[in-house]
Amino acid sequence: MNAPLRHDAGLRAIAALIDDRPHEQVFEVDRRIFTDPAVYEAEVKHIFEATWNFVGLETQISQPDDFVTTHIGRHPVMLTRDRDGGINCFLNTCRHRGTIVCPFKSGRRALHVCRYHGWSYDSAGRNVAIPELAAGQYPQGFERRDHDLIKVAKLGSYRGFIFASLSSDVPPLDDYLGETKRFLDLVLDQSESGEVEFVAGSSTYTFDANWKLQFENGLDYYHFAATHSSYVDILKRRPADAASKLGLPEEVDEEEGQGSFNFDHGHAVNWSIKRAQLYGRPLSYDPSVLDAARKRVGSDRAKWMLRQRNLTIFPNLQVIDILSAQVRTWRPLAANKTEMVSHCLAPVGEQPDLRAIRIRNYEDFFNPTGLASSDDNVMYEFCQSGYEADVAGNTQGYLRGAGHASAGNSRHAAELGVVPHEWSFGTLGFGGETNFHSGYREWKRLLERAATRNA
Amino acid sequence: MSDVEEAAALLFREATYLDKGEWDAWVAMYHRDAVFWLPAWRDEYEMTDDPQTQVSLIYHDRRYGLEERISRIESRKSITALPLPRTLHQIGNVELIAGKDGMMQSESAFAVHVFDPRTAREHTRYGRYEHSFVRESDAWLISRKKITLINDRVPTVLDFYSI
Repeated sequence: MNAPLRHDAGLRAIAALIDDRPHEQVFEVDRRIFTDPAVYEAEVKHIFEATWNFVGLETQISQPDDFVTTHIGRHPVMLTRDRDGGINCFLNTCRHRGTIVCPFKSGRRALHVCRYHGWSYDSAGRNVAIPELAAGQYPQGFERRDHDLIKVAKLGSYRGFIFASLSSDVPPLDDYLGETKRFLDLVLDQSESGEVEFVAGSSTYTFDANWKLQFENGLDYYHFAATHSSYVDILKRRPADAASKLGLPEEVDEEEGQGSFNFDHGHAVNWSIKRAQLYGRPLSYDPSVLDAARKRVGSDRAKWMLRQRNLTIFPNLQVIDILSAQVRTWRPLAANKTEMVSHCLAPVGEQPDLRAIRIRNYEDFFNPTGLASSDDNVMYEFCQSGYEADVAGNTQGYLRGAGHASAGNSRHAAELGVVPHEWSFGTLGFGGETNFHSGYREWKRLLERAATRNA
Repeated sequence: MSDVEEAAALLFREATYLDKGEWDAWVAMYHRDAVFWLPAWRDEYEMTDDPQTQVSLIYHDRRYGLEERISRIESRKSITALPLPRTLHQIGNVELIAGKDGMMQSESAFAVHVFDPRTAREHTRYGRYEHSFVRESDAWLISRKKITLINDRVPTVLDFYSI
């Protein structure tokens, strides 16, 4: 059996492309993890298709028979609300010939009829019709076989954030999310009802670069001043009547700075404390709304709600809460091509004036047609092209903050009652990079696990 | 010149200014309070139709938003414009929808060919324009432009000059 052995050796070699020696403060990433098609293949199969992925919000499928379609790795899936109120996630492929059963992005349908031969499924995934079954001269026992849509191996929801896994060999969702739940809470509890929704009008965009450039960028404050300087200039010049109203000063007694927390399973958060903001936030625009939030969650957590937080839930989700809130997911299409889906996230029942500010701020900053994210997208392509300089060796992009990264509790983490396994804190010019390590350690762990299993 | 010819001449002039990078002349065609609107798609069939409650790909309710975009690509600080893609706008199917008393509305079809000299990649964005014009001091100004972008999966970057 030569082929599996070669595959196994390949996986070990791929996992070894990250050289992680924390005690020596070495963290090196080989450029080929961004460029090599074999690495892409391994990631799709042994990371995206082997662990929990974010697939949608419960509020996207709030009514019986609602559905949305998406992907886990290469697998097309559909998310449905059945008539008993349950959430389901099926592989979007007909049991008969494998056809896509539901070709739409979202909607409400009691029946999903495969257009090829008419096999039909209800919103619970049950096969309810095989046309001309009796006339079909099927072999004995065929009728008794399971013809229902195939469910994903694991499905779970944390307060309306739905995650699914194609592999059953994953920790329970609650354990997988771990301390990141406290950061989802900071977004969810800005809503009086505790529910959040996607504002209508998502955007889908691609860049010709590796998905891990987006993964890193979402955790990277260091790039902001250089990459987004034209956007910062615009905000500084913007007259008061064209600017969204600035938020209330919150952190008057706090030391300004930037920090990060690394959590288990590849998750990480970076965050900042700033006294002067270039932009406001929907939560701080109306004092009565902010007061209500303070009463609901206490002053420490309300303070955290007003801090900039970039949350990465490995492997495919970032939730950014700054001047608006964004949920973005990525799907690797090739080593050098990524598809992004971006949604504006908002509290259900938000006041109309705050919702309008949220939307304008989101368009400005997060849209691929806006004034900031488009700079990131082009920058990823510059990196991707630069990574082709293989003989230049490893980059030096993973060590800011490594000199002072700390284990155990921090005073900032203590305010939220979370215990990161590593944290950092520095000045507003800090821009630490050790928070990328968490995701890369999980990346390495999953590939090494796959190599062991294939051995 | 008939009204429809006049509207078409304005559309062609706008396209030429964009393709030649004559940003000041381009933005001067817009009224100070002009709306520039590129809705997003809600699903396969429907676009967002209310900028106050739904996300648009671009929404400005005054010319200042366009002036900000120009300042960004002229700043030599935005990598999206280093180098700036080259474009060619082609506009056809021009129809006059309404025209009286110093107001005109037109609909037209557009295709914008975009070439990125950095990568030699090219793509075409296409869709429909709805323009409203107002007559002010003997000149027609654009008071509203709504763009229906048919192929809305954005390739890396999309800005006012590529639609």
